[in-house]
Amino acid sequence: MNVRPQRLWTGVFALIPFVALSLAIPFVNRVEPRLFGLPFLLAWIVVWMLLTPAFLFVSYRLDQKG
Amino acid sequence: MSEAAVALSIVALVVCAVIILGSLAGRGIVMDPEQYMLGGRSFGVLFLWLLMAGEIYTTFTFLGAAGWAYGKGAPVFYILCYGPLAYIISYYLLPPLWRVGKHYGLLTGPDFFANRYQSRTLGIIVALAGFVFLIPYVTLQLTGLQILLGIAGYGSVSTFWAVALAFMLTAAFVYAAGMRGLAWASVAKDVLVLAAVIFAGVILPLHFFRSPAEVVSRVLAVHPHWMSLVGGGDQYGTRWFVSTVLLTAGGFFMWPQSMAGAYAAKNAQTLRRNAVLMPLYNVMLLLVIFAGFTALLVAPGLHGQDTDRAFMLVVQQHFPAWVLGSVAAAGCLAALVPASGQLLGASSIIVKNVLGDWMHLATSDRSRTLATRVMVLVVAVLALWFWAEEQKTLVDLLLIGYNGIAQFLPGTVLAFGWRRTTGAGVGAGIVAGLIALAFLAAKGMPTVAGLNNGLVALAINTAVCVCVSLLTRAPLEAHLDEFADAAREPRPS
Repeated sequence: MNVRPQRLWTGVFALIPFVALSLAIPFVNRVEPRLFGLPFLLAWIVVWMLLTPAFLFVSYRLDQKG
Repeated sequence: MSEAAVALSIVALVVCAVIILGSLAGRGIVMDPEQYMLGGRSFGVLFLWLLMAGEIYTTFTFLGAAGWAYGKGAPVFYILCYGPLAYIISYYLLPPLWRVGKHYGLLTGPDFFANRYQSRTLGIIVALAGFVFLIPYVTLQLTGLQILLGIAGYGSVSTFWAVALAFMLTAAFVYAAGMRGLAWASVAKDVLVLAAVIFAGVILPLHFFRSPAEVVSRVLAVHPHWMSLVGGGDQYGTRWFVSTVLLTAGGFFMWPQSMAGAYAAKNAQTLRRNAVLMPLYNVMLLLVIFAGFTALLVAPGLHGQDTDRAFMLVVQQHFPAWVLGSVAAAGCLAALVPASGQLLGASSIIVKNVLGDWMHLATSDRSRTLATRVMVLVVAVLALWFWAEEQKTLVDLLLIGYNGIAQFLPGTVLAFGWRRTTGAGVGAGIVAGLIALAFLAAKGMPTVAGLNNGLVALAINTAVCVCVSLLTRAPLEAHLDEFADAAREPRPS
């Protein structure tokens, strides 16, 4: 299979939120400091949940150009 | 009118209105199987977004998430994580799946397996397993419906018959309208559920407490460990959390109705854009979790299955009947619309892959559409029967289904990633994964070394699939070449 380089980069890009919402969880499993009144664990999850569309959008634009 | 009459009338009115709206959408369209099962592969971004959200955000969203926030605390956060992960996977997996589906005119998820691996038997195995695991998911909707109707009736109506009636009405609607009607019903459902969730997650906490931060502080004051996970391999610990997130994200688009949803897209680009937008929908889940926390503070003391009822009970006790009726109506749609998709998905795979490919029945376009319609009613009755027999909490039911359905992932990913994969390998892997699940269930083990059973089974499944593939003969080169060509994105000219 012939993977174009920018396709590879978009893959790496999409991997960031993926890891943040799975493998990173044990490392952010804490209540303090609170962000926006949310416990740290929940705040982390919510932030990455909202960032995922942004990351995917960048991947999408890169794919469009490629 | 009594309070129960007010609340139940609102529920009945809303449900009937949405069913009529959906049925009108199917009028005047000639129903061949592609039209009936997949809406003629014509859905654009917005319609697809609403359809998929309509199928994915179910009564579980409404009650189960609040129930876990109430009964378990931080483990419920897993439901915020797996959606975004699933959409990231879908961004890469669904476009080639759609292209192959279009090229070969595939109608169902099992068709994909049968085609890529040139094995009708594999298609039949996938169809049967998919069907078996879809039933708990339908049951989950019925349990949710029962809770909602019970509370909206202030305990005055027989919930069994109310659920049976609502569900059979829905089945009749699917019979008539197919996928296109389902998508329109999803639109109505999404709007109402959004309103109800904003009420539950914003107005409810603000009504009792000043701010979400206040809710968090108060919960922590009473339950200091409610907002973080226990470490390592303990029950509902971090290891369980991560493995469950990975498993559910992987299983997400393996459901027969989700694969059908992907085929229903107009083109591959639509699926990409859809993947970008879908995580936004997840914000609703955060609001529901807050409703659960609020209920924990306002009405403490519920345990086990009763936690699923927690937030609706708060609405019942502290708000007028019309508010309760409106929230319950949205909740009922959140049960009935996804149940429609599940009925359609389950019926499609049975008619196409089991009756058609295996028994050579109902293979003409006309008889296939008719058979699928009749099967919708049969499956509905079957689900009702199963539901009357088996009672579990909502999340438990969902996890049973996910463990099984996720076993289709290796065969789907390797279909594109590794030419050497064979039908025997995928079939043996799925069977090994299912045996592992059954073994662990029989032993009464919820986890293995803290890891979700489904993920353990998935690892066994993948290993078996690779080994058996290496020992057996792959499909003909010519077919694999055509398949790979169909999956590839056309180069911009």
